[in-house]
Amino acid sequence: MPFLADQVPVRVVDCGCVTPLGDAAKTCAALLRGERALQRIPVAGGEGGDRVPMAMLPGRALDETSPPAWGAVVKKLFAPVSGPAWGTARRPIFITSSNFGVGSLYAYRKTGDAGHLTYGTPFACADWLRREQGWGDNFSIFSHACVSSHLGLVQAARMVAAGLAEQALVVAFDFISPFVAGGFHALKILNADFPSPYMNRATGSIGLGDGAAYAVLAREGGDFKILGQSLHNEMYHFTANQPDGAGFDACLAPLAEKAKSQGLRLWLKGHGTGTLEAGRLESTRLAEAFPGAPLVGWKGSLGHTLGSCGLVELALAIAAFRAGRTPGTVGSATPTFAPAVALEPFSNREFDAVLCSSNAFGGAHAGLLLAHD
Amino acid sequence: MADPLTFRLKNIIVETLHLEGIKPEDIKDDEPLMGSGLALDSIDALELVVKLEKEFGIKIGSSEESRQALSSVTGLAAFIRQRADQSRLPS
Repeated sequence: MPFLADQVPVRVVDCGCVTPLGDAAKTCAALLRGERALQRIPVAGGEGGDRVPMAMLPGRALDETSPPAWGAVVKKLFAPVSGPAWGTARRPIFITSSNFGVGSLYAYRKTGDAGHLTYGTPFACADWLRREQGWGDNFSIFSHACVSSHLGLVQAARMVAAGLAEQALVVAFDFISPFVAGGFHALKILNADFPSPYMNRATGSIGLGDGAAYAVLAREGGDFKILGQSLHNEMYHFTANQPDGAGFDACLAPLAEKAKSQGLRLWLKGHGTGTLEAGRLESTRLAEAFPGAPLVGWKGSLGHTLGSCGLVELALAIAAFRAGRTPGTVGSATPTFAPAVALEPFSNREFDAVLCSSNAFGGAHAGLLLAHD
Repeated sequence: MADPLTFRLKNIIVETLHLEGIKPEDIKDDEPLMGSGLALDSIDALELVVKLEKEFGIKIGSSEESRQALSSVTGLAAFIRQRADQSRLPS
């Protein structure tokens, strides 16, 4: 499902994120230094369990508090876009997350404290966020696993391009909990090893991370332009991709065509969780669609921030353009599945654009082509 | 006479995964469990691994190890014999 803003360019006029390494600029700087936010933390929080790689905001515990400790963090992050000017007919809000307040639901189940229910369901969580930020009632909620924020970005861009919104605000957040960590741990893809995205090694592993981000889209302003977005769901299997990579190809093809037709010099910010089969498929299909373009993934440092990862990493890609250098694939080493995987930072001064891609359970794929003025 | 562990594993597979129309004795010892053969998928593997870890007190460290362990009933039995406390094995 390509959405190519040929006629009406949609621009990113403001964008920010927060990770355990700080805001977008600080996180980008830390990634450029090769820092890893992930630490081995007991998978079940206070109940212990195997120690697995997770990256949590400073001072936050895996077991959820009431109100959630991450509330103050997102309130500070969203401060530039708080207030009643947002959530109106002409300035809608798209609230995206994979897990919303599932950590609160889990805490309620464990403790019986009904206070947790205020934040537990997707709507309760989003509405709490809205009230905290002073936003109006015009908000939509999107959730589709790890491409959640991409869905919000597509919908927001459509509204702006169609003239139905003067500006659109997309917010994304996911904060890890024992419930979520336990699920990935049971699948054995969250294990004792740190993730090494796109590295061809004996066993795969992911890390999980806290993350939140926002972006304001409009027809004018800012120095970054969305050239196109693409979504595709291959519907092959809940946790596996079609073995020939056709799902990746279907998502990437319209964006590759767009980039080729404009002669863009691109670098690629991939999904790169650290699992083996998905990493091999993703990196080889990206190399086929965008020959020679350097590919990086940052989840070897930050962990997988789940539904928020698309927008968090978009904010980091913008920060990388502003810094003039793109962080390498922290945590990985040779051999990699594809030769274009960039392990070390590189100058992006000669590049016009970045492709930001994400993938999700259920066979969902998303891509966003962002050009720097 | 059937090996007690092999017999138990076939029962676990059928019961845990609610395999309709398949009896434990229908599962061949060397039949691949994943992909072909019984055609179990990653969600089936998740359920089986959780059950096996609880029943036999073993730890499976990664998804690759999980796939290796679930190569066949014979392979799974060998994997469990290597790692489980012998007192937890059926006799």
